[in-house]
Amino acid sequence: MTEQTNQEFALEVREVSRTFGARKALDKVDFDLPRGAFLSIFGPNGAGKSTLLKVLSTLTIPSKGKARVMGLDVVEDSVPLREKIGFISHNPLLYPDLSAEENLEFFAELYCLENPKERVRELLVAVELDHRRLDLVRTFSRGMIQRLSIARSLLHEPEVIFLDEPYSGLDPHAMDILDGLIESIRDQHTFVMVSHDLAKGLQLCSHALILSKGKIVLFQDKEFIDEDEFAATYRSTVGLGVS
Amino acid sequence: MRRSLFGLTENTWLYLLLSLGAILTSLDFLMAFLVAPVVLGGGVGGTAMIGGIAISNQLLFSQKIFFFHVPVAISSFLVFFFTAYYGVRFLMTKDKKYDTRAKIATEVTLVFVILTLITGDLWTRFEWGTWWVWEPRLTTYFIMTLLVIAYFVLRNSIEDEERRATYAAVFGIFAFMDAPISFAITRLVPSSVHPVVLRSGGGLTGTQLAAFLMGMFGMLMIAWVMFRLRLREEFAGEHIEEIKAALEG
Amino acid sequence: MAETPKSRMSSWRQFKAILRKDIVMELRTKEMLTSMGLYALLVLVVYYLALAQVGSKFDVGYIAAGLLWLAIIFTSLLGLNRSLVHEKDQGCLDALLLSPIDRPIIFFGKSVGNLLFLLIVEVIIVPMFYFFFLSGQTLAGPFWMLALVLLVGSIGIAGMGTMLATMSVNTKGKDFILAVMFIPIMFPLLYACVGAATGVVMGDAAFVDGWVQVYWRSLGIAAGYDAIMLLAAFGLYEFIIGA
Repeated sequence: MTEQTNQEFALEVREVSRTFGARKALDKVDFDLPRGAFLSIFGPNGAGKSTLLKVLSTLTIPSKGKARVMGLDVVEDSVPLREKIGFISHNPLLYPDLSAEENLEFFAELYCLENPKERVRELLVAVELDHRRLDLVRTFSRGMIQRLSIARSLLHEPEVIFLDEPYSGLDPHAMDILDGLIESIRDQHTFVMVSHDLAKGLQLCSHALILSKGKIVLFQDKEFIDEDEFAATYRSTVGLGVS
Repeated sequence: MRRSLFGLTENTWLYLLLSLGAILTSLDFLMAFLVAPVVLGGGVGGTAMIGGIAISNQLLFSQKIFFFHVPVAISSFLVFFFTAYYGVRFLMTKDKKYDTRAKIATEVTLVFVILTLITGDLWTRFEWGTWWVWEPRLTTYFIMTLLVIAYFVLRNSIEDEERRATYAAVFGIFAFMDAPISFAITRLVPSSVHPVVLRSGGGLTGTQLAAFLMGMFGMLMIAWVMFRLRLREEFAGEHIEEIKAALEG
Repeated sequence: MAETPKSRMSSWRQFKAILRKDIVMELRTKEMLTSMGLYALLVLVVYYLALAQVGSKFDVGYIAAGLLWLAIIFTSLLGLNRSLVHEKDQGCLDALLLSPIDRPIIFFGKSVGNLLFLLIVEVIIVPMFYFFFLSGQTLAGPFWMLALVLLVGSIGIAGMGTMLATMSVNTKGKDFILAVMFIPIMFPLLYACVGAATGVVMGDAAFVDGWVQVYWRSLGIAAGYDAIMLLAAFGLYEFIIGA
């Protein structure tokens, strides 16, 4: 493992495995992702996509191998690393009994932001929820919850954003807002997305990764992806029709 | 795993140790009877004249149990230490084999601690005539039994393997810390209703001590054998799982 | 990259945020407090059932301390699980773990929150208990001694209880598992606290050797228990919260 980290890369994954006993969730996953890229991860259920995301976002540690995100080791530098990563999940990750504003202010405090109140207002406006900021989250629709969740994940201005099936269950309006937000910050940020939506994933990404049974089946820069070949590989691994 | 030590395979060692352990324990037990004489033909309610003092046969019986009970009690505690030890090792390495060992150590502890409870209860019966007294030792053993049972209940209620191992390790550490604290507390805080029954060890003569130590070593040997046998059983099971997984993949 | 400067991570700020959030949520829903308070009342009724036939020769004072602690234990078992269900429900725990917070701070914040709620419930139970069962009796010792025992015991219950509940909330059969772990582990603490409290209530009638001596010794052991176990909990918490 080279100790020197390459400033070019957002992700440097070196033979990461995650096993427990006989069970292998990830098996020697190895790849690099340049900064500013958008990685879409595909694969059947149980392939290890969520596990990979968890390892990269410091929620779990690898059993073997090393990984660096923005030059920081996911195990040793996990605390400073967490300041730089954001996570958007299909779970809301919000407290239903607090208001939108209270939720965001809580997380702002966790990240020890400098001007928490202003930052919170700024984001509430950006996701068009400012008018509902005093309402309890339990009164929100699914789309509104997802928008607020997006706001939560961007509070601390992360450099790398992980998305775990972010579009699932969203109405078109919320999807548009998410798309818009991603577009607006596309330039300076790196994205890693797990999605079952092949079309959307391919459209947004600059790099694609297919996982199966914890192993990488395919990792390519989109420029070099042959549409048909990719679709064939995808179909054979994931077993779904190409939409 | 070492295949042979001094030219003997592990199998042979296990059986050797088991036999040795059984012999030592039995010897200990036998000597208990030889050391303190029991009047032949005397009933439980009767007394015997020893050294010019009338001692009830009940007390003599209870003394015999001492030779079995105390080694078992100490052994159970020693084995319990390994529950905590393997728990710590697991947390440090996240290696499943430590979790397996911790589980088995706790199984062996369970056996020993139940024996402790039973023999302790028998002792109480002979000495006080009642079947249960909430005195420090018995209470502590009871709590220890509950702690060990809780360990298994916890394990059984979690499906995710790694989480189960982590939780069990942490709980095992707390449980091991809790046992001596319980013991100390029941002795230091007097129960206002039940007087603290302090058992004076008295003087142990040379032969008595020898018998006692033999019993200890014998039991520890048996505990070790139980541990290894059970461990082998677990490994065999895991091996099968590995083969199954490889076949599916 | 965004230029907004962030203040240094402050554990105190994060701790305050967690504590504040739990308090605000509890005040809003009053879930824990009402259920614990009502439960305590029901326990008192059950006590009456148990004591209904004892006759006038029986001095309730002898078991009063025990009954009081019993009520506290049962209400704690009820309340502790609830405090952690919130985090689990919406996946909020992941959001906490993704933030740059030291895991022990989460433990600290939650335990102090639980301690506060427990103390509030005790403020209600103790007078009620006195009113129903000890009317007319004067305590052998000053009230502050009783309050001190309650405080030391509650610290242990809240701390270890939070630790155990963090585990039990992730099992099948949550409340049962909590009880199975809680009672044996807390046994030494409860034993010491009941001893000390009985001393205060009954004085030398209970402890012929001088109840003050027994009181301080028991209190010392209880405090020692708190110190040892909570220190261990502090160190081990990050293992279980990440699992």
